[in-house]
Amino acid sequence: MDDTPFVVVEGLHFSRGDTDIFRGVDLSIPRGKITAIMGPSGTGKTTLLKLIGGQLVPDAGRVLIDGQNVHGLSRRALFRLRRRMGMLFQSGALFSDLDVYENVAFPLRVHTDLPDAMIRDVVLMKLQAVGLRGARHLMPSELSGGMARRVALARAMALDPELILYDEPFVGQDPISMGVLVQLIKRINEALGLTAIVVSHDIKETLSIADYVYVISDGHVMAQGTPQSLDVDQDARVSQFVHGEPDGPVPFHYPAVDFFTDILSAGANR
Amino acid sequence: MIGRIQQLGRYGCDLLEALGRAGIFLGLSSVGVPSREGWHLWLRQMHFVGVLSLAIVLVSGLFIGMVLALQGYTILVDFGAEQALGQMVALSLLRELAPVVSALLFAGRAGSALTAEIGLMKATEQLSSMEMIGVDPLRRVVAPRLWAGFVSLPLLTVGFSVVGIWGGYLVGVEWLGVFNGSYWGNMQESVDFIADIGNGIVKSLVFALVVTWIAVFQGYDLVPTAEGISRATTRTVVYSSLAVLGLDFVLTALMFGELG
Amino acid sequence: MKRSKMMELGVGLFMLAGIAGLIFLGLRVSGLNLAGPGAGDTFQLQANFANVGGLKPRARVTMAGVNVGRVVNIELNTEWYDAQVTLELDDKLEGKLSRDTTASILTSGLLGEQYVGLSVGGDPETLSDGDTIRDTQSALVLEELIQQFVSNMVNE
Repeated sequence: MDDTPFVVVEGLHFSRGDTDIFRGVDLSIPRGKITAIMGPSGTGKTTLLKLIGGQLVPDAGRVLIDGQNVHGLSRRALFRLRRRMGMLFQSGALFSDLDVYENVAFPLRVHTDLPDAMIRDVVLMKLQAVGLRGARHLMPSELSGGMARRVALARAMALDPELILYDEPFVGQDPISMGVLVQLIKRINEALGLTAIVVSHDIKETLSIADYVYVISDGHVMAQGTPQSLDVDQDARVSQFVHGEPDGPVPFHYPAVDFFTDILSAGANR
Repeated sequence: MIGRIQQLGRYGCDLLEALGRAGIFLGLSSVGVPSREGWHLWLRQMHFVGVLSLAIVLVSGLFIGMVLALQGYTILVDFGAEQALGQMVALSLLRELAPVVSALLFAGRAGSALTAEIGLMKATEQLSSMEMIGVDPLRRVVAPRLWAGFVSLPLLTVGFSVVGIWGGYLVGVEWLGVFNGSYWGNMQESVDFIADIGNGIVKSLVFALVVTWIAVFQGYDLVPTAEGISRATTRTVVYSSLAVLGLDFVLTALMFGELG
Repeated sequence: MKRSKMMELGVGLFMLAGIAGLIFLGLRVSGLNLAGPGAGDTFQLQANFANVGGLKPRARVTMAGVNVGRVVNIELNTEWYDAQVTLELDDKLEGKLSRDTTASILTSGLLGEQYVGLSVGGDPETLSDGDTIRDTQSALVLEELIQQFVSNMVNE
C-alpha cells in the first residue's frame, strides 16, 4: 500500500474573534489507519474536522488531502473532493424529513445514476452492516441517539469513501451502544481499508481502536504516538489527560487572583 | 464619546458586511440549474409556504373587504356617492391592501416557519452534513424555498383581492343595498388592468422576494442554538414587516406618484 | 407516495386558483374586454381646450352618457398655449361625427371625476382619424366661477 500520508495538515492557524484556537498545528494522517485526535473539551477538535473538510478556512497554513490543497480548490472541485470523504457528526445530523432508508440513499441519489434496484441493494447492505436493516422505515425522530449515529455511519459509508471523519462518536452513549460503535468503527476500517480520523475525548474507547494518537491542547499538538507509548508518557500534562486526573498542569481552577485576596478585597470595596 | 462613535462605526461595518453576505447568499442560491429533483423539492415547498398559507390569507382578505365596504359606505353615503363603493373597495385592495397585508401575513406565517426550519437544520448539523456529502445546501435547501416564496406570494395576493372584492360585494350590495350594477360598473370603469392590477402584482413580486430572502437568510445565518433560532425568527418577522412597509411607500411613489 | 401525490394536486389547485383569480380580476373587476375596444379598432381625435381643469389620462369619453372612448394623452400646445387632448374613440364612430361636434369637459356629480362629453352638430362633413375638434368647452374651475360671481355682485 502507498505509504504517503493521506491527510497532511501544515502550520494551521485559526482564530475565532479574538481567541486563537490553533497556533500552528501539524498533523500527518497515515493511509488506511485509524488516527485519533484527542484533547480536553474546548480545544477545537470539531473545528479541526471542519477545517479538514473545507467548511472553514484557516488564517494560515494548509490542509492537503491526497495531495490536494483543500482551501485552494474551487467550490465545485471542493464538492467533488468531498464525495471521497464521509463525516459522522456528533448528533448524527440525519435529514429529518427523510426516513432511514432515504437518508442512506441520499448520497447515492445525488452523486450516482444508479437504478433504483441497485440503490436498494447498496442501502440495505450498508444498513445490514450497522445492524439496522429492520429500521429502514423509521423516521430519524423515532431513533435513539445510538441508532441515529449508526444510521449516520451507514450514510457516511454509502459512497465507499476513502476517508471518514468521526466527530465525537462516543459522546453521550450508554455502554452498550458505545461498545457497538467502537466495534463498528474498528470493523469497518479493517474491512474497507479506509483512512479514519476520530476526534474524541473518551480516552479508553479511543485508545482501544486507534493506531496513532495526537493530543491537542492550547492550540498545538502536545503529544503524539501510538496508544502504548502515550500510556507511559512521562510528560505531566499528557499523563493527566490520559489517566483522567482532575487536577494537574491543566488546573481545576479557572485563572483568578488568589482566593484569599479576592475575598478580602470584596470586603474592602464596600 | 469617541467610544460611542467607534461603536457606531463598527455597527455600520457589521450592517454592511451582513448586507454583503446576504447578497452573495441570494446570488449563490438563486442560480440553480432546474432539474427533476429540484422541481420536486420546489413543489414540496410550494405546498408548505403557499397552500398552507392560503387559509389565513383568504379569511383575512374576506374580512378586510367586508370592513372596507362597511367603512367606505358610511363615508360615501354622506356625499351621496355610495355608487362609488365598488371602485373604492377594488382600488384600495388592488393597489395597497392586498399586496401589503398578504406580505405581512406571509412573513408571519411562512417566513418565520422558513427561518425556524432552516435554523433547526443548521443547529442539528444537517446543513453541514449535506455539505460534507458534497451537496450544496444553498441549492438543495435554500433555492427551492426562495423560489416557492417568490411564486406563491403573488398568487396569494390575487386570492386576497378576489375574496376581498367579493366580501365588499356581500356587505355593500347584499347587506347595505348598493345597486349591484353600479358596484361592478363603477369598479370596471375605474380599475385599469395594467396600472392597478399589474402594479399590485409587481408590488407583491417585490415583497415576495424581500420577505423570502430575509426569512431564508436569517435561518441560514443564525447562531445555531435554541436561543439563536428564536431570535432569528423574531428578526424575520420584524425585518420583513418593516421592509414591506418601507418598500411599499417607495413603490407607490414610483407607480402612482404622478397620477395623484 | 400517496401523500406526495396529494401534495402535488394541492399545489396544482393552488396555482390554478391563482390564475383563475387573475382572470376574474381582469374580466370582472377591471372590465377588460378581450373583444372590445383596445386592440386596433379605435381611432384618435385631437381637441384643444383653454383649460382642462382636473381631467386626467384614462378619463372616460361619453356621448349622450354612453361610454365611447377614453382620454389617452394631455399635453401643452406651445403654439397657442392651450391644452391638447388626444381622445381614443370607438371605431364605430369613425366617419359619423360631424365636423362641428362639441367636446366639453364635464364633472360627474359634485365631487366626481372629470370626463369628456361629446355632442354632435349638424355639419354634413365628418371627422376622421387624426382630425381636431374645433368647438370645445373648457372645464369649470371653481375659483373662476366664484370670481365671476363676486364681481357680478359688486357691479350690481
